[in-house]
Order: sequence, then C-alpha cells, then structure tokens
Amino acid sequence: MDNEMTLSFLAVSENESLARMAVTSFVSQLDPTIDELSEFKTIVSEAVSNAIIHGYDEDGKGVVTVHAVREGDVISVAVKDEGKGIPDLKRAMEPLYTSKAEMERSGMGFTIMESFADHLQVESEPGVGTVVTFSKKFLSVKMPQIS
Amino acid sequence: MNYEINMHLDTIAVIRLYGELDHHATEKIRDQISRTILQGSLKTIIWNLEKLNFMDSSGIGLILGRMRELRAVNGQTIILNPSNTMKKIFQFSGLSSYMMEGKEQDAIMHARGIVNG
Repeated sequence: MDNEMTLSFLAVSENESLARMAVTSFVSQLDPTIDELSEFKTIVSEAVSNAIIHGYDEDGKGVVTVHAVREGDVISVAVKDEGKGIPDLKRAMEPLYTSKAEMERSGMGFTIMESFADHLQVESEPGVGTVVTFSKKFLSVKMPQIS
Repeated sequence: MNYEINMHLDTIAVIRLYGELDHHATEKIRDQISRTILQGSLKTIIWNLEKLNFMDSSGIGLILGRMRELRAVNGQTIILNPSNTMKKIFQFSGLSSYMMEGKEQDAIMHARGIVNG
C-alpha cells in the first residue's frame, strides 16, 4: 500500500462536495487526466449521495465514511454507511429504478458507478448499512523521467 | 453552483449552469428553475453546460424532470456542450439525441427551426 486516507462526515448533502474534493486531492499524485478524474469523482459522488439520501434519509446524524487506498496506479475506495440498507439490491441496481422518484432521483447512480469503475461491489443489509467498494486504474500519461 | 436563465422570444429559455451540479445543488435550484420556466409560453429549454465543471446523476434527474414539464406543451430540450464524462452519463440515460455541440446562438436557431446557409 502506497497511501491511505479515511474521511468521515455527517449525512448532510453539502458534504457531497467535501467527499469529492478529498478524493480529488488524494488521486492528484497520479497525475490523472481530466476525464479520468471526473469519472472518478462521479463514482464517489453517486456512492456518497446514495448513503446520505437512501441510507440516512438526510438525517444529519448518521456518519458516512470514505476510505481510500492507493496501490501503484490503482485507487480503491469504500463508501460506508450504517443506515437502513437496501432491501432489494438487484432491483436497486437496475438502470432507471429509483425508490425516490418524487425527489427526481434518476435511478442511474449504480449504472454510472458500474460503467466508470473497473470493479464495483455493493454489500447491503437492511437495518445494518451499505458498503460500496470500487477500484479504478489510472492510465494517465506520465512525463518521461529525465536522468 | 450558480445558474443564469435568459429568455429568447418568450418561448426559448437558455439555462447556463456554472460550477458543480450534484444532489445538494439540484435541491437548491430546482424549484426556482421550474418556476421560471413555467411562466409564459415556454417551448424550449437549452441547457448550456459549457461552464459546468461537474455533474452526476442528479443532473439527469433535473433535466428529465423539466422535460416532463415541457411534455405538456410538446416542448423540446437541447443539451449544449456537455463534457466527455457528462456525454457518457447522458448516453447511459438514453439522452444522446438531445445533445448538441456549438454556440448558444446556433442552438437557439436550431430550436426555432432555422437552418444555417
């Protein structure tokens, strides 16, 4: 392991940008391209928003934890909540399915996460919480070393 | 997050979005945008995303919601100048055919059915 970080915050929506900012700084040492970085930020944003909105109903009390690890040019992230959990995970991961249509949630979160991550895993238990784990390899072009 | 709405001929609204559009930002601006566009005889919304630095699926919810409101008047939607990542998000969501690249003026002409040349 080359580096590691843990960030915990309350389930309020303004912390979605805090999480994006923290992971952006964390991956900056890999010199990501604009597209790599924005895809990575999108995955984090989707997972963190899910935890805040669905895990805790934005109660401002529950804690969301973002744990990131860098190994070489691969970043692995776990977004964890101890909220209400997802009763039907298979259904939740279907494109366009949302349990919060009245909030204009598009139901595209998991589809976007799966498409932008190299590997994605979701574990959830009703009443216990949800962990979204994903990894992404950064292929950013490195400047040749001048010796 | 910031936005600007400019009306053209009462029927076309150009909405310029600035900064980062996530769930938090969407909740803050939705009602205001919705109220503004429901006034008058609106037929078209042009979302100018050129200055938008970030968007997640909340942006899809915002745009789909306004498309639903426009459906009552047979209105149209144009998504102008999304970033590469946003393009992919719109593609996943089945909104590819609404995307357009170019100047705002071209999008307005397109909305009015005027073809250049």
